[in-house]
Amino acid sequence: MKTFEVFLKKAGREEFRHVGAMQAPDPEMGLMLARESYCRRAEGADMWLVERSNIIEADPAVLAPNADKPHRHNDGERIAEHRRSTREADQ
Amino acid sequence: MSTATPTPTRSSADLDEFQAFIDGGGMVEAGDEMPEAYRTEVFRFIEFHANSELMGGLTERDWIPKAPGLRLKQIFLAKTQDEIGHAHLLYMVAADMGMKSRREMIEDLFAGKSRFHNVFHYQAVTWADQIAVAFLVDAAAFASQRAVFAECTYGPYKRVLKRIVAEEGFHMRHGEEMLLRLAKGTPIQHAMFQEALERWWWPAVQLFGPDSDPNDPLLAWKIKSKPNEELRHAYVQKYVPLLHSYGFEIPDRELRYDDDAQAWLTSEIDWEPLKATMRNGGPDSRRRIENAAANWADTAWVREAMDASAMNSAS
Repeated sequence: MKTFEVFLKKAGREEFRHVGAMQAPDPEMGLMLARESYCRRAEGADMWLVERSNIIEADPAVLAPNADKPHRHNDGERIAEHRRSTREADQ
Repeated sequence: MSTATPTPTRSSADLDEFQAFIDGGGMVEAGDEMPEAYRTEVFRFIEFHANSELMGGLTERDWIPKAPGLRLKQIFLAKTQDEIGHAHLLYMVAADMGMKSRREMIEDLFAGKSRFHNVFHYQAVTWADQIAVAFLVDAAAFASQRAVFAECTYGPYKRVLKRIVAEEGFHMRHGEEMLLRLAKGTPIQHAMFQEALERWWWPAVQLFGPDSDPNDPLLAWKIKSKPNEELRHAYVQKYVPLLHSYGFEIPDRELRYDDDAQAWLTSEIDWEPLKATMRNGGPDSRRRIENAAANWADTAWVREAMDASAMNSAS
């Protein structure tokens, strides 16, 4: 038995979404069972099956925020401060 | 400066850290670390749910040939497929918790080693019984599943519940429509449902279980969002007036509307029948399990053919 992860994409929406998993002996049966298990009421217009063993997973530590790189963000506070003071000066 | 420890952003095997993670709105995923107690309890809960969907689906199936008319046969076919589909999804989620494989769960169920909902330990004698199951029992199961979905900290279970709850919504409407036909039908049909109600009212109310232990870890871990007694109470408040409005009598002589509590209060519930079903000692437990096991044996050739086909395509 192989385990497949199932993804569905609704018509007119951009991304595929993971909906769950499914066991099947081969891709052909996988497609049929996934259709019957996850898509009986047209929950998706497109479907992907990915064999679980093919998924490459990142280490969460690698994805943790870089607290030492504030220059990758800009909260716009300096501009906002400038606009506030200009408004106050105009009044 | 706050000295409070920050809310953990990842699940942990340590019980205290885990509780803080859950209280901070955390969601657990299949590969995450988690306390063994959480893994065991949540696995048992999902396995119980999966078993109940499978046993319920097999009951629906029994009524396909007997359902009166093509439309009702189609409805029962679709419901059967939904329930078996729910079992499939739930067994997959449970198997991914790494306690038992899907096959082990199914074999344990058919060997009488596992539990499933009390209501599937009784026989549906007449067509009206099956409508009582569709109307009352599905509604009770639906209310309890929706309460799990509301918070559910185990991500894979929550996502599958979303689909299950949506599909159970169709079943509820079918159930009430079928009830309406009997309620507005001949006096014989009306009496037939009244008799079925007498058999199914208590099992449906008992489905919610006895009052929750306030220390139930499933409440603390937000698998259950509400204690059993609260869900049971809400169910009684909804279904007593609804059944009255269709002209039926609730089989409880002590049932009364309490003006102070502004609520329908039932007589004291006897929990012995529920306990018997949890030992697979209900009135119809044995026949149901044997029937399901026979079905599993009869379809062995499908699994064998699939395994053989997989071997061929692999070589």
